[in-house]
Amino acid sequence: MTPKLLERSRLDDLVSILSNDYQVFGPVARKADVSFQEVSSAEMLDLNYTTTTLPPKKFFHLRETLLEYREGEFNAPELDLERSILLFGVHPCDLNAILRMDRLLSKEFVDLYYLRRRENSAIVALNCTEVGENCFCASLGTGPAIDKGFDLLLTDLGDSYLVEVGTLRGQRMIEDLNLEDASQADLRKKEELLEAARAKFKKSIRMEGLAEVAAESPDHEVWTLIGESGGLAGCFPCLSCGNCSLVCPTCYCYEVADIPDITLRAGVRRRELDSCQLLEYAKVAMGHNFRPDRKSRVRHWMTCKFGGAGGGLESSCVGCGRCIHSCPAHIDLTEVAKALWGE
Amino acid sequence: MAKLRCGFFKFTGCAGCQMEILRLEEEFPRLLELIDIAYWPMVTTRGWEGDLDVAFVEGSVSTPRELREIKEIRERSKVVVALGECALTGCIPSIRNFMLQREAEKRVYDHPLWIESIAVRGLDVYIEVDIHLPGCPPHRNTILEVIKGAALGRDPYLRRHSVCIECKLKDNGCLLTDEGRPCMGPLINAGCGAICPSLNRVCEGCYGPMSATNASSHAQILKEIGLSEADIRRKFRKYAGWTPDFRREAE
Ligand code: SF4
Ligand code: SF4
Ligand code: SF4
Repeated sequence: MTPKLLERSRLDDLVSILSNDYQVFGPVARKADVSFQEVSSAEMLDLNYTTTTLPPKKFFHLRETLLEYREGEFNAPELDLERSILLFGVHPCDLNAILRMDRLLSKEFVDLYYLRRRENSAIVALNCTEVGENCFCASLGTGPAIDKGFDLLLTDLGDSYLVEVGTLRGQRMIEDLNLEDASQADLRKKEELLEAARAKFKKSIRMEGLAEVAAESPDHEVWTLIGESGGLAGCFPCLSCGNCSLVCPTCYCYEVADIPDITLRAGVRRRELDSCQLLEYAKVAMGHNFRPDRKSRVRHWMTCKFGGAGGGLESSCVGCGRCIHSCPAHIDLTEVAKALWGE
Repeated sequence: MAKLRCGFFKFTGCAGCQMEILRLEEEFPRLLELIDIAYWPMVTTRGWEGDLDVAFVEGSVSTPRELREIKEIRERSKVVVALGECALTGCIPSIRNFMLQREAEKRVYDHPLWIESIAVRGLDVYIEVDIHLPGCPPHRNTILEVIKGAALGRDPYLRRHSVCIECKLKDNGCLLTDEGRPCMGPLINAGCGAICPSLNRVCEGCYGPMSATNASSHAQILKEIGLSEADIRRKFRKYAGWTPDFRREAE
């Protein structure tokens, strides 16, 4: 379908049409951060945002009840899927992360809860014409633009948005707006703006082969510097606080526990996101812990983000920069990569 | 299922942890189907007789009498629960340890000679504690979890990670990394549900050190955002200054 043009002043028309069929969530500015929140008008959106505190994974696999049990019987609760959700203004890095999770959680390991929530969701993506200070998606090919995974894709051209359609569902979303076709000049403008954005990145990472380099360097001094003492490029040693993995769009590991109610005969099985940076994560039966020291935990987390852990490339970094911003110690994955490459 | 014979003891502390148990108003009738209150001066005049399945001990050890009593509690109980931060770390009363004993006594009492006190310490220093229930006071859900765990004969499910995890699970903005405010969350044991950061207040550390703290690194971070050395010392001293985790930063 030919790309369309949506005048900026008509953004609210789009949001209100979407609100008829979906519960719409988009980036909303808060006191000092931006968060995906429910919106009812375009006015509430902050589409100039660079990043949100939690990625869209907050809608798919943050924490939930897996089953309810009573006297030896159990059943899975009905997921709250009455209304489909629509995520508005998802950036390419985050959408790429969602697509990776879709693959990872639907193959040998099928996560029905995740998949049902995903099936119940629609996405209006937003290309990045501005770049955050911690972003480095360009060096990973996961941004600042995307060409798949969305129902609609917006690019901010200034006075208007270029609207590209990814699915039949997306086509229906804009049907009633009677948008005019974008011109060749509009399409050229999109490419120019994205080219200009590519030139704005301050951070980058050389990812190809990095997992192997990390695997071959378990005793590299960089792990001591960030895991024990010294720091690297102005950072302090890791706190094992887990912020980095909680905010990472490709960190999906979770913890499961049975919570009995007061009768002890019934209860719920809950899961919530976990983090390999936490001491208890690698604790197994009989109390053994195979990653008891901070250095081995931070090394494992980084190696996973380089694509060298169980999730392979699907759980590797998409360059969103959240872990850098959210790390109280300012530990920077791109600096760790440089040190490993000997740069 | 036989009911658990439980005793509730108060040492040096404010009684807030016991109050937190009483605040389980809704659950209390069902709770009494699980436990027998064998001894609890706050709610019954009944004296302490016989052995206990579970002893909940609130408060720190700070007198010779408490020292004798904690040993007796240990001998007469299958499971000893350190209930709350005072019992775990000495908590706020342990600030006293940073000054001379006699000076502290003089500040409070007209006749310090009548006082018999020793350094304020958690129960761990004197006896083997089976279950550590952090918090000043512990969250009611974690108290329930301990009782349910004991009734089921398994360890309670108490996570020992940072407050930051709970804070992020609630999708809060970060007071430290977004606003440069001195939050202790990255060092502090979870369990409260990140109440303070959720209400725009920095975590002061009332659940004590989590399982894998890096206090010296956090002290550098606090310095970087502009805290004076004296303020950093106060931050570490406030709730758990006498613990191995925080002592160096608290001195
Ligand atoms: S590792 Fe960091 S930069 Fe990469 S995707 Fe995760 S949070 Fe974003
Ligand atoms: S956010 Fe930083 S300090 Fe916390 S666990 Fe991750 S790397 Fe370590
Ligand atoms: S506000 Fe405090 S507790 Fe919450 S994530 Fe930030 S440092 Fe951690």
